[in-house]
Amino acid sequence: MKGFRIRRILIERGAESDSLTKGILKELPNTPRQHVEPYELAPGEDIAGMDKESLRIIHFKGEFLKPCPGTKRYICCGYKILNVGSNCPLDCSYCYLQSYVNQPSLRIFSNLQENLDVIGDIIDSSPDRIFRIGTGEFTDSLSLDFLTRWTDFLLPFFSRRKNCVLELKTKTSSIKSLIASRYRKAIVVAWSLNTPRIIANEEHKTATLKRRILAAQECQKAGFFLGFHFDPLLYYPGWEAGYEQTVQLLERYIAPESVIWISLGSFRYMPSLKRAIKRRFPGTNIFDGEFVTGLDGKFRYFKPIRVEMYGKLSERLNKWHHDLGLYLCMESDDVWRQSLGWSPENSENLCSYLDSRVRKLMGD
Amino acid sequence: MSFSFDLEPLKASIDRFGVLNPPYLLRNSDSHFTVVVGYRRLLAVRELGWSDTVCQILPDDFPPFEALLLNLHDNLVHRHLNSVEKGMVLKGLTRFLTKEEIVANFMPLLGIPSNRQTLEQFLGLEELEEAIRISVAMERLSPRVATLMGSLGRDDRLRMNDLFTSSKWSFNQQWEAAQWIVEIASREGRSAKDVIDEGEIVGVLNNERVNNPQKVKSIVKILKARRFPSLVEAEKLFKKGLSGLSLPSGVNIIPPPSFEGIDYKLEIVFTKGGELKEKVAELSHLSGLEKATEFWKGTEHR
Repeated sequence: MKGFRIRRILIERGAESDSLTKGILKELPNTPRQHVEPYELAPGEDIAGMDKESLRIIHFKGEFLKPCPGTKRYICCGYKILNVGSNCPLDCSYCYLQSYVNQPSLRIFSNLQENLDVIGDIIDSSPDRIFRIGTGEFTDSLSLDFLTRWTDFLLPFFSRRKNCVLELKTKTSSIKSLIASRYRKAIVVAWSLNTPRIIANEEHKTATLKRRILAAQECQKAGFFLGFHFDPLLYYPGWEAGYEQTVQLLERYIAPESVIWISLGSFRYMPSLKRAIKRRFPGTNIFDGEFVTGLDGKFRYFKPIRVEMYGKLSERLNKWHHDLGLYLCMESDDVWRQSLGWSPENSENLCSYLDSRVRKLMGD
Repeated sequence: MSFSFDLEPLKASIDRFGVLNPPYLLRNSDSHFTVVVGYRRLLAVRELGWSDTVCQILPDDFPPFEALLLNLHDNLVHRHLNSVEKGMVLKGLTRFLTKEEIVANFMPLLGIPSNRQTLEQFLGLEELEEAIRISVAMERLSPRVATLMGSLGRDDRLRMNDLFTSSKWSFNQQWEAAQWIVEIASREGRSAKDVIDEGEIVGVLNNERVNNPQKVKSIVKILKARRFPSLVEAEKLFKKGLSGLSLPSGVNIIPPPSFEGIDYKLEIVFTKGGELKEKVAELSHLSGLEKATEFWKGTEHR
């Protein structure tokens, strides 16, 4: 990761004795540390600025396994989020966490490992159901792994279960711990992809496109299933050529047969996110497109623009391979039909479709 | 903390009844005085040509923060502070208090929504040119738009100020148009001033045959078409399709907002049940009605 440094560690009361805390402190012996009260901002912790150079270790009292915050107005995939922390050292201008979480600092939950049994019980109590679980919704799954060692205990935990997959979603090329692990089963390593221009201008501190794809190739060779997420798709003059470059790199380096799914989602935002982005990234062009208010209150591209982007990109991806598990993130039935030529019609059917991908690729 | 005010009513009052409440002053180290309370009264007295008036001198050790509060409370009890003056008060408070304290304790006192974002908005007003601050103080320019102008260059914001104060714009219209201007400028790689000064808008501004509300409406329409070309084109196509349907009078089809949803509404205006029945019967035989939801499609977005 480019230009990333933790300047201080904030340890919340209650987190001191957790093993993950001790591990992080051992990893960063010379970083200044400060004990803080839960829910209280430490001096200099600035919500507006996000304060991504402070690492706050929290003994989390909430639920670790949560449904992905979807909406009834659009078709959602029934994903579950494993809540390992929030915010990440990468600094994508469009990141929804800037207004969704509304909390500064890189936040790590120190008692995750101690709570895995609860998650195990939930998964094991519904053996006929497939749980698609990911850690990459509220943070990047791998950017802090060198400190947290999440993969050390999450991979064996999920690998031994028959009815779940763990998706580790990232924009980094930090795969060392994955490759070193001996666990592969039920693990999907996924990359968020965009055009080289968007990566350069909007996805600050992330790995370049080529590094991401080379890392994916390495994971694939090491026996992991792969996922890719074209989300957020951004519309700008030359977008088509930009996404073409990205697909060409996929074609060149990735064998499509072990790709479990590829999602497409267009840029969408709440009004509060626009304010936060304008404040932190005044020069960004991501709001230049034609955005209208969606059924969920979020702004999204005018429907024909979304349909064109999904349609052209899916057509191109289908040329690469006919069975990539393409799906749309938070879209309506009519947009599905117009752009992909079919629709799951509702969230339940999309869940079933993605579950079937899990069963098909990973075996029952 | 007075900005952009009309001194004449106060002058008339003082001329007739004298200074009823004496101004309060603080002696400086150089033996000059700082006006804590009563700045406008002293200005009025000077303009009336009086050579003296009675003032109260505060103790030399009177704390500056207390002086600021005295001024604030004196103003709050007898007049309405304009937005620029509220910004001046808030700026003064930042010398003594944290922003969190100001948000919690002073913004409610000033009748401003208590949040950090609004605080920054008011603090930013002082950085703007006097012409813009006068527009805000006179409530001809939205403080929110003035804040947005803060992110633009001097020429751009002065041009925008001219645009919004030359005709009667509502604050909502100003906000919408200001955002569109900035976004068009960003997308086209031009300045906001250039966007405003392009032919169509200038043509509307210089057209003496249309009144001010019509001018505002036309400019909003021009900006919307440039900001949302595909959406506006879709709206036109839909309207054109409807007009070709020969709908019965008092019947209208309303598309979902921005064509995002899939539910359309049929509106029938009628005064008697028989009339409703007739219109429904007419609609049921109307050729082309089944294509109404397709009229807007096929939009070539730019």
